[in-house]
Amino acid sequence: MARQRYHDGLALRQALPGRFLPFLVGSMAFLAALALAGGIAAHSLSQRWTHGAGAVTTVQVPSPADPATATAAMGQMPATRIDAVLATLAATPGITGTHRLGDAELRALLAPWIEQTGDPSLPLPAVIELHTAPGQDVAANVLPRLQAQAPGVLMEHDSVWSDRLAALAASLQACAGLAVLVVMTVAVCVVMAATRAGLLTRRQAIGLIHALGATDSYISGRFATRVGLLALWGGVWGSMLALPMLLALSHLAAPFTAMGDAPATAPDWRDLHAWMALLPSALLWMLVVVPPAAGLTGWATTQLTVRAWLRRLP
Amino acid sequence: MFRLHDVSYAYGGSQTGVAALSHVSLDVAQGEFRWLLGPSGAGKSSLLSILSLEVQASSGMVEILGVPVRQTRRAGLARLRRRIGAVKQDFGLLPDMSVFDNVALPLRLQHRAEAEIAHEVHAIMKWVGLENRLDALPPQLSGGEQQRVAIARAVIYRPALLVADEPTNALDERQAGRLMRMFHRLAELGTTIVVATHNDAIVAKYPAPTIELLHGHLVRDHG
Ligand SMILES: Nc1ncnc2c1ncn2[C@@H]1O[C@H](COP(=O)(O)OP(=O)(O)OP(=O)(O)O)[C@@H](O)[C@H]1O
Ligand SMILES: [Mg+2]
Repeated sequence: MARQRYHDGLALRQALPGRFLPFLVGSMAFLAALALAGGIAAHSLSQRWTHGAGAVTTVQVPSPADPATATAAMGQMPATRIDAVLATLAATPGITGTHRLGDAELRALLAPWIEQTGDPSLPLPAVIELHTAPGQDVAANVLPRLQAQAPGVLMEHDSVWSDRLAALAASLQACAGLAVLVVMTVAVCVVMAATRAGLLTRRQAIGLIHALGATDSYISGRFATRVGLLALWGGVWGSMLALPMLLALSHLAAPFTAMGDAPATAPDWRDLHAWMALLPSALLWMLVVVPPAAGLTGWATTQLTVRAWLRRLP
Repeated sequence: MFRLHDVSYAYGGSQTGVAALSHVSLDVAQGEFRWLLGPSGAGKSSLLSILSLEVQASSGMVEILGVPVRQTRRAGLARLRRRIGAVKQDFGLLPDMSVFDNVALPLRLQHRAEAEIAHEVHAIMKWVGLENRLDALPPQLSGGEQQRVAIARAVIYRPALLVADEPTNALDERQAGRLMRMFHRLAELGTTIVVATHNDAIVAKYPAPTIELLHGHLVRDHG
């Protein structure tokens, strides 16, 4: 007859069956992983749209080498229009960076038009890329001053778009956070219900070992270890099931989030490395963290549930 | 040893509940053997439940093995319970665990080595004459056999205080005699023992100081 190390009458395999909890916790972990992935994706999109290329404003300065029609600041010598504009931009708070496109960049950008007109000596305007701090409309404020220095200055910027996208991303993140919160609450309730049911089925045995001198921490520890392991197991399954979905979504999102160029086609299904490279490291970390988080949540919930229940015993 | 001072107990709370014990004061020294007598419903089981820390007195002072119960935290009470053995009127065996595991339970909770546990369980089960029923489940045993299993479990860890509720009611005369001799031997070794019984014959045969209850009141205390 097998006499197990933990033959203390609690019969936890019977009180907390090994399928029910992992299945439920696994489903919760799966949902949480998807919600978290949505949040992470929204975050990286918003990062790109508020700090990256999405927030770029371009300034066109025609006849850049002509003298400026007004000085950038009092007491300065009149300079070329492009120098005056650059000086004004550099002195404006809220502008985080300026970059004047070089000749080659410009010709590459305008190649289609240059080819059409067939005139390589066409006078080109200077083009400056501006990066602005998120949420500030500095560019519009500075435009009248630039026009005073260089008549015909044009400013093109997409901050309406990027602000909207940033707001959308923030809302998506909030929704994801809320979803994770709801999923966790449901998971905690499920664990509590399962633990209570387990306590009820082993009520007699618990009463007996309590009378024989088992401490609250022993009994709650036994239950919590079992539930924690089942929840960890469920979390592993939930994470593993979420992985293929996240890979597919990451592949679809790659052109919008990746800094470099994204492959147009999906990698070969056997090429694990290529698939993993698709997954942002934040997502990978999230998948790794979900199972222990599920286990820890199960463990802590059970500790509290069992300890509260044991209070009825003297 | 234990001391009770002005102890009352009511099932369902002291205000509205059924009074089972009223203002009981007792002082029993280490190694003493006491009979606990009284008619059915007198409060014998209730008193034993207080002594085995199964319930807390509604009022009054309870001190068991030198530990003041009311002032002691839960972990301390758990430690104290490991020094108390109790034979319950309904035996308190787990029906889905073998006789061996039932008797081994207190030792397992103390994390004793399995070899030592097996040795102790075999010895005590041999003494109660059930060494060949170790793998049986309690419901497969007769009433007297279950009672002997319950006794074996209560004494296996050599408690400093042993309370037994009608431990002979399912035993035949020969087995009851063996049990009484074991109780006296344990008392000689320093265990304080209280045995509740209705059995006047056995009290007459093994005279000892007596505690008698009537309607929850202490009516006799032969110290
Ligand atoms: N669980 C309970 N709930 C409510 N009242 C109870 C409970 N257990 C016992 N009582 C009452 O408490 C009083 C004392 O009961 P107790 O069991 O201590 O008596 P006893 O002396 O052990 O009787 P017996 O010899 O029949 O075992 C009785 O009036 C009984 O009805
Ligand atoms: Mg009784």
